[in-house]
Amino acid sequence: MATFIKHVFVRIHSAVNSWEKSHSPCRRRGLHRDVEQDELQHTNTNCLSSYYSVFVARLAIMVMLAILIGLLTLLTWHFTKVYTRTSLNALAYGLRYELLQRPVLRMWSILNSTVEITTAQVKLSEYVVRKYSKPENQAQQVELYEVMKDVTWALFASHKALNSITIKYKNGFVQAFHRDPRDNSTYYIYNDLTNYTMAGPYDVNASSSHQGWNDQTIHSNISAIWYREPLDPDTGEKIGKQNAIPPDDLINIAGISQVPYGAPSWHVAVSKFTNSPLLSAAMPVRDAPEGSIVAVVGVTTSLYSVGQLMKELVEFHSGHIYLTSQEGWLLATSSTTPLLRNSSDGPKLMMAVDSQDPVIETGAKWLLKAYGGKPPPNHEVHIEKAKLGNQLYYIDSFFLNLKRLPMVGVLIIPRKYIMGKVDERAFKTLMILISASEMKLRAILISHLDARRKAEASSNYKSQFLANMSHELRTPMAAVESGKLVLEEAEFDMGRELEGLVDMFSVQCKNHNVEIVIDLSDDMPKVVQGDSARVVQIFANLISNSIKFTSSGYIILRGWCEDPHSCNENGNFSLDQKALWPAPKNKLIQQESPEKNSCKDKKVILWFEVDDTGCGIDPSKWESVFESFEQADPSTTRLHGGTGLGLCIVRTLVNKMGGEIRVVKKNGPGTLMQLYLLLGTPVDIPQENYKLKYADHNLKVVLALNGSMGRMILSKWLFKIGVPTWDACEWNELTHILQELFIPSRYAQSLTYECSKVESISKQEMEVSVFIIVVDIGLLNLSTDIWKEQLNFLDLFNKRAKFAWVLNHDTSNAIKMALHNRGHLMMVNEPLYKSKLIQIMEAAIKEKMISLRHGMLGGDTHEFLEIDNVHSDQESSNDSEKSEINTIQVEETRRTLSCSRYGAINNCFLELTEVCSERNKLGANETFPVVNYGDNSQERRIQYVEKAINGKKSLEGVRILLAEDTPILQRVATIMLEKMGAIVSVVGDGVQAVEALQNPLEDGMPTQTKMRDPPPYDLILMDCQMPKMDGYEATKTIRRAEMGTDLHIPIVALTAHAMSSDEAKCLEVGMDAYLTKPIDCKLMVSTILSLTKLQPKS
Amino acid sequence: MAAVSQLQRQFIEYTTSLYNEGYLDDQFTQLQKLQDESNPDFVVEVVSLFFEDSEKLLNNLATALQQKIVDYKQVDSHVHQFKGSSSSIGAQRVTTVCVHFRNYCDEQNLDGCLRCLQQLNHEYILVRNKLEALFRLEQQILQAGGSIPMME
Repeated sequence: MATFIKHVFVRIHSAVNSWEKSHSPCRRRGLHRDVEQDELQHTNTNCLSSYYSVFVARLAIMVMLAILIGLLTLLTWHFTKVYTRTSLNALAYGLRYELLQRPVLRMWSILNSTVEITTAQVKLSEYVVRKYSKPENQAQQVELYEVMKDVTWALFASHKALNSITIKYKNGFVQAFHRDPRDNSTYYIYNDLTNYTMAGPYDVNASSSHQGWNDQTIHSNISAIWYREPLDPDTGEKIGKQNAIPPDDLINIAGISQVPYGAPSWHVAVSKFTNSPLLSAAMPVRDAPEGSIVAVVGVTTSLYSVGQLMKELVEFHSGHIYLTSQEGWLLATSSTTPLLRNSSDGPKLMMAVDSQDPVIETGAKWLLKAYGGKPPPNHEVHIEKAKLGNQLYYIDSFFLNLKRLPMVGVLIIPRKYIMGKVDERAFKTLMILISASEMKLRAILISHLDARRKAEASSNYKSQFLANMSHELRTPMAAVESGKLVLEEAEFDMGRELEGLVDMFSVQCKNHNVEIVIDLSDDMPKVVQGDSARVVQIFANLISNSIKFTSSGYIILRGWCEDPHSCNENGNFSLDQKALWPAPKNKLIQQESPEKNSCKDKKVILWFEVDDTGCGIDPSKWESVFESFEQADPSTTRLHGGTGLGLCIVRTLVNKMGGEIRVVKKNGPGTLMQLYLLLGTPVDIPQENYKLKYADHNLKVVLALNGSMGRMILSKWLFKIGVPTWDACEWNELTHILQELFIPSRYAQSLTYECSKVESISKQEMEVSVFIIVVDIGLLNLSTDIWKEQLNFLDLFNKRAKFAWVLNHDTSNAIKMALHNRGHLMMVNEPLYKSKLIQIMEAAIKEKMISLRHGMLGGDTHEFLEIDNVHSDQESSNDSEKSEINTIQVEETRRTLSCSRYGAINNCFLELTEVCSERNKLGANETFPVVNYGDNSQERRIQYVEKAINGKKSLEGVRILLAEDTPILQRVATIMLEKMGAIVSVVGDGVQAVEALQNPLEDGMPTQTKMRDPPPYDLILMDCQMPKMDGYEATKTIRRAEMGTDLHIPIVALTAHAMSSDEAKCLEVGMDAYLTKPIDCKLMVSTILSLTKLQPKS
Repeated sequence: MAAVSQLQRQFIEYTTSLYNEGYLDDQFTQLQKLQDESNPDFVVEVVSLFFEDSEKLLNNLATALQQKIVDYKQVDSHVHQFKGSSSSIGAQRVTTVCVHFRNYCDEQNLDGCLRCLQQLNHEYILVRNKLEALFRLEQQILQAGGSIPMME
């Protein structure tokens, strides 16, 4: 920097000089007349030059200032722009995703309903056929057909969206109903019975006697005469004379060829009666279960409504949407251009690249060119800048993977529409505070979303068709055995899929200031059998839903396994919750019984929970949120977006996998979704026993992580598998732990035990602990250069422990390189979860093994351990005294460290130990060092200052409301908090606490602040038992007042109870944490820090 | 100065015995650490608050247990408060009695409760005397021009 400035200065100086030179001639000319004054001029120039140098210096300073200001402005502009862009990109992506998801969902629901209707028709037909199984004469045969006609009509009339229902019997006879959308007329279509087998035996069940049982019949049997009679669309009564129709005008009749091997099928068909493609499903009718096929039912639905929805969507959003089959045949578009092309033999489907709509055509071509024959996996494409014609567009495509009819939806939106304002402003406005304009842009986007929602509510969005559809979606799918949604059956790693999902969502969560955590129990089977894409879809929907409604706190995805054959209850699951569930176990056993012999796969029940600290769902809505178009609170739609279709699909999928999902009661704020899935798992895969696996390695882990929930879950797990763990949530805590662990202290005792054992066995410390220190990059102070000092500090422990770093998605390369150069090779991306931790532990063990084998550790460790040995002898017996000595030691060593920071690491260690031993000698000689007030008050003050420096003022500026009736505790807690730098206000009961929150105490005049304003306190410490209103009631009142706002003031319970039931009660009423009396200062501080850190500073 | 060092040694021995015999625990050390020049009489202040509070609570307890129909909820809440305050100044033995007291309260065992009240009274008076003695010793040291030894 200095050289740069110097350089600039020189430049300026020379520039000024040259300016001076170029200007001096004219001055010279004036002076030239008088030669005598030449001398004088000389002195003048001297004077002038000194004047100029001052001027130049000033100019340089001014220029430099200008450059600095310019740089600052540029930087600010750059960063705010980048931020604006990312947040807008996220919003824009959400908008696009939602836009495209809807037609895809609509398509899906049409498929669902079509197959459901088909199935219903098949069931009804089977019923009728079996009832008239042995028609003995023509009269009975005719009766069968009459009944069938009535039944079919009933179904047809009740589903207005259907295009046609056809039944073709084995004997060639056809009955069909058809709606002609062009003139909204309805027809009954049938063929001439006499041409067929009515003269023959009437037994429709005979399977072999009829050659005519193939599709040839209709086409080859030209002699067949087809009739059509117009019907009243509502009553089904005949309203006109039947007419013979030419074969050309015939609708599609599903025949045996469409149900190959008796399996149901669907495909896209075209018809001359409608200009939209048709979805056609066909299913066989059997005379008995597993019997022979006696007829084929066909149902066709128009895809018209999908196009209609697309048109509605783009009306408010500009842009273009289209849906194609996987091969690229157009199924629906948002444009009004035809979807079918006329050929000599009737209408045909059209490829997207042939569309007459120019944008769709160029878009499709663009995609074809970009991805050609090799479409991206899942057909998902998100292009932010695609140039079509001379405009930039977003192109997104989503894939609907239906087994028999995979479809691709494509959305093309002019970039101008979403990012236009951003693109413009980003380049025009340098000096404007971008945050303001960003808010405006957000508002624009939100109003767009809003307009669409309003439009949908008012338009015929919920038309009869849709009402039907949503009803179909709500109907349990149990009745539908096949054809609709076929789940894949393949082995997959459930854990990995879910972890991947959490990784994916973590960035979004980070931006929302929400911690995402995954907690899968060890008993989860590694491999399960099922449809991984669908499982992921379930959790993706649930998690994104949680993110939408959670503005602070955490989202946890838990999973555990319930072995259906063992009866021991899982600890994670309380009994009363269990009672809510219809025993899935029975279901499982029922399902299993017929196939008991095939013991290769066993079914397991996998339980999951998605737990968030969001705004929660009112208990009265717990059931209805799973219905389509339902969001818990209609008013939240504006705030959170979304359609509410997600949960409906989730439930359908969960049910399909033999499971159930519901919202269950949660202790504390937020929503707890609980579900179970019934999945197959190979029997012979053994579970990993981590406890056994790591028992011999003497692992010890320090978890220094920002996210309190994830840290807690991991340390619980480590504890369970018998790995000693130390937790830290911020830098100072970490330094304390490290110094306590590695610099002779309390821990020395346990360590000594190990060393002496080791030394007695062999000189190679084979059993030395593997220390792993996991550090969140967020613990470093990256905003300044302090992080380098912090790394220097950590370097001291580098030989004793393995460091593993948890990086952010936006951790810069410079930092990664710095870590790498210092020998920190283990890095993972956040969030940290079990399997990543296992990887870290495994790597650390491996490394230790290798280095042990090579004897590299010998000298150092030996030395270090010896030091420990020496000190432990001098350890005094009294615990409290010991801790006192330790803190001083820490302070001392810290001072030493800062002096010798740049010395060699080994030296540091030596110095350290010297200091320590001196201290200990001191402690040994004078058991109670006496501090004299009179003589050494200076020293005492130093001690206090030092305390403050050592990060003890960690609550600086935190505003705390203390609600406590006992004067002793009032005093003690207040002093403790104030020492930490907090600002404390005290009230004596719950009523006052509630009041204080509305009218802050500091203000002499009670201002009428509503709960809506930023809260006057950062946190409440609430005694549970107080007169007038106890802590529980007060908390409930406060939480009620917060309802409907996004405020959530952290409340920490204070109680003399120490039972877990009390903790549960505290959390149940909406408290965030729980402290027992007497107050442990350290714990209190870390609790407060963990709760206040989540809140954005107001 | 010999008198001062004599007093100081006495103070240290006395304090150590209070810890060793379980009258006080670590919490009391914590209180002492909270005392500094901005709150010079913090420990005495809090401990006097404890005395006041305890006497009030003991009275309340005695009254509550003399009623014809004992309101155990009421009793429990008093004991609970006592437990909170005693643990906060580190009066360990009082706290321990409170824990037993609450168990009897849960069982609605009047005899047990009465016995505990007696014990509580006893322990309270003991710890009060001990603490008062300690403070007197402190005063003596200060008057003699010495300083209070830090218990480290």
